Amino acid sequence: MKTAAQEEKLIRVSSQKGVNVYYIETDKFKTNTINVFFHDELSRERATLNALLPAVLRRGTEKLPTQQDIALFLEEQYGAVFDCYVDKKGERQIMLFHMAYIADKYTGRDTKLFDNVFGLLFDIITAPALRNGCFREDYTAQEKENLRRLIEGRINEKDRYAIERCYEEMCSNEPFGIYEYGCVEDIEKITPDILYRHYAKFLEELPVDVFLSGSFTDEEINRVVQKFGEMKRGFWKNIDAGGIYRRPDVIKEVTEKLDVNQSKLSLGFRTNTAPSDIDYHALMVYNSILGGGIHSKLFRNVREKEGLAYYVFSMLESFKGLMLVTCGIDGKNKNRTIDLVKAQMDEIKNGVISDHEINSSKMYLENVIRSMRDNQFQTVSFYLNQVIAGTNDDFDDLIGKVNAVTKQEVSELGNKIFLDTIYFLTTKDGREEI
Amino acid sequence: MKTESYSYEHIGETMHVYSHSSGLKTYVIPKKGYLKKYATFGTYYGSINSEFIIPGEDSPVKVPDGIAHFLEHKLFEQKDGSIMDKFSALGARPNAYTGSNQTVYLFSCTDRFHENFQLLLDFVQNPYITDESVEKEKDIIEQEIRMYEDDPGWRSYFNLLGAFYSRNPVRIDIAGTVESIRQINREMLMKCYDTFYHPSNMVIMVVGDVDYQKVFEQVEQSIRHKESRGEIKRIFPEEPESLNKKYVEQKLAVSVPLFKMGFKDNRTGLKGAEALMQEVGVKILLEMIMGRSSSLYTRLYEEGLINNTFAFSFTNEENYAFSAFGGESPDPEKVRDIFVESMEELYRSGLDEKTFERIRKSSTGKFIRQWNSVERICDSFINAYFKGATIFDYFDVYDKITFEYVNELFSGHFNLDNLALSVIKP
Repeated sequence: MKTAAQEEKLIRVSSQKGVNVYYIETDKFKTNTINVFFHDELSRERATLNALLPAVLRRGTEKLPTQQDIALFLEEQYGAVFDCYVDKKGERQIMLFHMAYIADKYTGRDTKLFDNVFGLLFDIITAPALRNGCFREDYTAQEKENLRRLIEGRINEKDRYAIERCYEEMCSNEPFGIYEYGCVEDIEKITPDILYRHYAKFLEELPVDVFLSGSFTDEEINRVVQKFGEMKRGFWKNIDAGGIYRRPDVIKEVTEKLDVNQSKLSLGFRTNTAPSDIDYHALMVYNSILGGGIHSKLFRNVREKEGLAYYVFSMLESFKGLMLVTCGIDGKNKNRTIDLVKAQMDEIKNGVISDHEINSSKMYLENVIRSMRDNQFQTVSFYLNQVIAGTNDDFDDLIGKVNAVTKQEVSELGNKIFLDTIYFLTTKDGREEI
Repeated sequence: MKTESYSYEHIGETMHVYSHSSGLKTYVIPKKGYLKKYATFGTYYGSINSEFIIPGEDSPVKVPDGIAHFLEHKLFEQKDGSIMDKFSALGARPNAYTGSNQTVYLFSCTDRFHENFQLLLDFVQNPYITDESVEKEKDIIEQEIRMYEDDPGWRSYFNLLGAFYSRNPVRIDIAGTVESIRQINREMLMKCYDTFYHPSNMVIMVVGDVDYQKVFEQVEQSIRHKESRGEIKRIFPEEPESLNKKYVEQKLAVSVPLFKMGFKDNRTGLKGAEALMQEVGVKILLEMIMGRSSSLYTRLYEEGLINNTFAFSFTNEENYAFSAFGGESPDPEKVRDIFVESMEELYRSGLDEKTFERIRKSSTGKFIRQWNSVERICDSFINAYFKGATIFDYFDVYDKITFEYVNELFSGHFNLDNLALSVIKP
């Protein structure tokens, strides 16, 4: 018989005032992790403030006022790791505060690390280093500069840049088009005071999900519940999922020229399918047949057969109902590649799906889903996605639904997928075909 | 069947080893409760091995740069089609990578492990390379090279190696150049294959919840070469001890400059636990000097000269060793000047023993954390194996490493005459 600890099941421990605490019990990892997610609607007004806030908070707490103090403290806790991330899932901006530390049974000493590391994590979120009742001027100024460079530095990684720019162009009139780290133009006007006032609302109003993963005692779990329960909370908002259903009237074409050796082509599509829709699992299979894995039509045709690209794949942005195909090619092959991608999608729509393609896709997805359970953070992300989508599937539920998808369902789904935007990043001397 | 087992009770891990008559060793680390099974078949052959003497012959062979990586691509092709189709029909995800010293074939799966493992054993032992497929692969690899040419992190790294080394082939990009790969043909690929893919030059590593006896039986039945073979003579040009250049710069489409800086270390050729000791020792030193808790990091960060992208590493192999550290910076040369200044201070004041103890403890914690991931275990295992050690030896190294030893490394490694800087500018 399997115990709960072998199944990586999700248990909701408490839910109060918009703060949910979840526990994923597992004993197979060497570490315990604590993940605190704050959710907000992705908006121009708040995106930059939300992105700047964790960067300033991590600079110091009341008790450990510099990041050097924090680093020293973490080293003493057997190299515990603290980090912050900002992400977007659909039109939802997510700020994560993450702590990972070695489980006491593996330190080889009589340790009790939880108290120290959770104490620090909670302090970073709720008891920052202040001056005259406000964020420190120097920390705020330095982190504004870092944020500006981070946003401008997106261009350094061309593969990712070509993906993000395609989404942005595609959704330039929708909140999803906002970069999760905000806008350079909005940084300048932020003062410590403005940020601090935003912070008060951030703590009081944003929905919070806390995920504990590993092996925690009841006492430790209760402490997490109790501390978050003590937080001053006012009205907390519900996050709107954002618009998913859309059929573009015209295909938008954007070309950006940079001094690069390889051109990047990204095609953005509307799937008109939400994660909670009945045919969402057909979309997962569709995406895998088209460009998710080495069995996919894109890999086999664009790379293996035609030799046009080293990398080519498709991916889903499930929460916004988008699909994106991206590849690195020689600029002169742009139109040929677009035609080839379209031809693959037409095949799926026309039911040209081999047994190998659909079976490999399902097995591929099953492998990916099951493998998440071997990674603490992916397990947490999986459940977070379920919570956000309101689907409440566990790993086996999801695998079951994927395996039940038929070829016909995949073909039919193809009728709802529309090309919206063609984004092309290319060389300045531009050998692009017209 | 000759097998051995080693346990490291403290963190609850065990390793089983089987030695095949050909000299091939197979290692299994069973991860109870893990769903993913990860198997790798690696050869001690990478991008730097472009000149060698085949066992039993006298005259050296020289092949074009990028051939090890090219061979890695071509091995996936089989007589009856691409091996990728067979793996995907079994739900597995195959992959491979080529480094400076090694080529590794792998797959991960959650189901039908032994069938997938059989595919791995078979395809790595059965090259099927045609002239036509070699020509087609050149287009794909050209796109791969172009992709790396636009990658500022990758470029800053190889430019740093070019600053360290004037002749050592580690300075050349792993995939070679667009020109060098155009010279590659089937015959050269087969010559390299026959030389470096003998089981005596290889290793198998499996991590996951598998029956290790069954793995060993499969290996015994599937490895075709039964006899060991003589040594491959690997030829390297004579490399001077001094730097090739102190400073290198390249322009790319970036918004903020990027830099990598580091020390060329001439203490090379260490084997076994000694090699691991050097690696751990220099990494501890780097953490002490420029880690998140150091005064140097704090100063550079607060002056806006570095940000969270700052990272450092140390590499030591048979005939080269170096540290590399860097990230984004508006003024990399100023970072270097401040670094040099603080090193000079450190030479005067000496290292702090309490800091050493604290970093040793946190580094041990970080090492233990690696055991969460089957991929990390495999990568780090293979890296240690070709140095003549195993990943289990690290435990001993972390236990035994002393302040005296680290002090000795400090004066050897952190020699400002060997400090080079590589910058990518907008």
